[in-house]
Amino acid sequence: MICYQCGCTLSEHDFCTNCGADVALYKKIIYISNRFYNEGLERANVRDLTGAITSLRQSLKFNKNNVEARNLLGLVYFETGEVVAALSEWVISKNLRPKKNIADDYINMIQTNQNRLDIINQTIKKYNQALTYCNQDSLDLAVIQLKKVLSLNPKFIRAHQLLALLYINSEEWERAKRELTKCSEIDTNNTVTQRYLKEVDEMLLPEDGVKQSQRKKQKSEDIVKYQSGNETIIQPVNIREGKGVTSLLNLGIGIIIGIAIAVFLILPARIQASRADIDEELRKVGEQSDAKTATIDELQLQVNELTKANGDLQQNLEAYLGTDGQLRSVESLLKAADAYLTNPEEITVVADYLEEIAPEENEDAGENSESFENLYHTLLALVGPSVAQAYYDDGYEAYRQENYEDAIPNLEKAFKYDAANGDALYNLANSYYRNGQEEQAQAAYRQVMELFPGTEKARKAEAFLEEIGSED
Amino acid sequence: MINFEEELKKFHPSLEVEDAEEAIYNQDLTDMADLMVKVVKEAKKAEIQAGLNIE
Repeated sequence: MICYQCGCTLSEHDFCTNCGADVALYKKIIYISNRFYNEGLERANVRDLTGAITSLRQSLKFNKNNVEARNLLGLVYFETGEVVAALSEWVISKNLRPKKNIADDYINMIQTNQNRLDIINQTIKKYNQALTYCNQDSLDLAVIQLKKVLSLNPKFIRAHQLLALLYINSEEWERAKRELTKCSEIDTNNTVTQRYLKEVDEMLLPEDGVKQSQRKKQKSEDIVKYQSGNETIIQPVNIREGKGVTSLLNLGIGIIIGIAIAVFLILPARIQASRADIDEELRKVGEQSDAKTATIDELQLQVNELTKANGDLQQNLEAYLGTDGQLRSVESLLKAADAYLTNPEEITVVADYLEEIAPEENEDAGENSESFENLYHTLLALVGPSVAQAYYDDGYEAYRQENYEDAIPNLEKAFKYDAANGDALYNLANSYYRNGQEEQAQAAYRQVMELFPGTEKARKAEAFLEEIGSED
Repeated sequence: MINFEEELKKFHPSLEVEDAEEAIYNQDLTDMADLMVKVVKEAKKAEIQAGLNIE
């Protein structure tokens, strides 16, 4: 405690030891302020917030510098939802004691959280709007608005009270009581709450009173009281013990009720549970089936892709085989050339290699190169006449021996390798004729006549043609 | 019986956060100690005045 005049700390004396001012009355004022603060604190501890507000305001009326009382007053205001009033007290408190003041923490708590500050402001605005609605007689809108307010700030006592008042006005007593009970839980001794609650209780009580009195009356009818000496005897009336048949009947009814309960309540529940289990199983199986179907589809797709790939590979293989055939022709040509260069006398070996080439097939395909063709024809020109002669000799020998089966291929090759060999063609035609191949014979005779006109062979060929024609 | 209209009049709009500053400035902070000091000062002044008048 400090002197009001000089600011010096006061002692136990009734005067200031520094300036000599009389501080007896001042000390009493400070003591009273502190006593009110203590009272306010006690009330706040038991949630008598209205009482606490009264005491703390009294305390501040005596000593405005009682920072603890002011801080506590702010806290109580905050608890009742009066945030602006709380902030005002804390700001004044902070101005009175700038350092080591808990009000600083309280202010920071609100100011640092912008979202919370917005909610507080929104709550107040909605409350004011609700009050405006009330004054405009739009009570339904006011109720909606107040419900919003309380959802944002459930401790706003005045909003609870106003909502309760609106419920009372619309005779919704239970709802009003619920709101007032919430008020009482926050502030136990609010006079407005108590007044409204009393009104609501009076409106709710009459029915309860009647019921209670009826219950009491009925109870009193069920028993008989009488005094026996010093003891009070309480005896139930109109209650008889059941006899044999009645007991059995009751037992039977009980069993029937039990069975009925089992059939109508327990059984359907179990059936429903079983169905739910089965449905669940079915769902799982369905899911598995779907998954497997998806896998099968995927595998089928892979099979199709692989089949297609296999086809492509087969085509490629065939193409390679074709290339291989060409390569074989080239190889045979090279072998023929090599054989001719090594030993030109062995013309049959060269001829064998040339036979393997069969260039006309590749010519048809247009796959032989020009150098291949040149080499092939050069070799053919070099060995052709000798080969032709050899084949002709073999063929003619066979012809003479009337072995036309052997004669025909040899004579064919002889004419193939030496197209100027008219004897080979003529004897080939004769072999065909004598072998019974008349069509081939006719073609060969005509060829003799065309290729070697004016010769003996041509004349004979003509005679044979006529002979074949006359036979037909 | 509660009169709705009368009760409604007892409810006043709540102060908004923007109005807090004005509310703080307008708050009457005079306390009993201030009054006592004022009374003591006036008493002293009156005493001095009375002494001067006697002289």
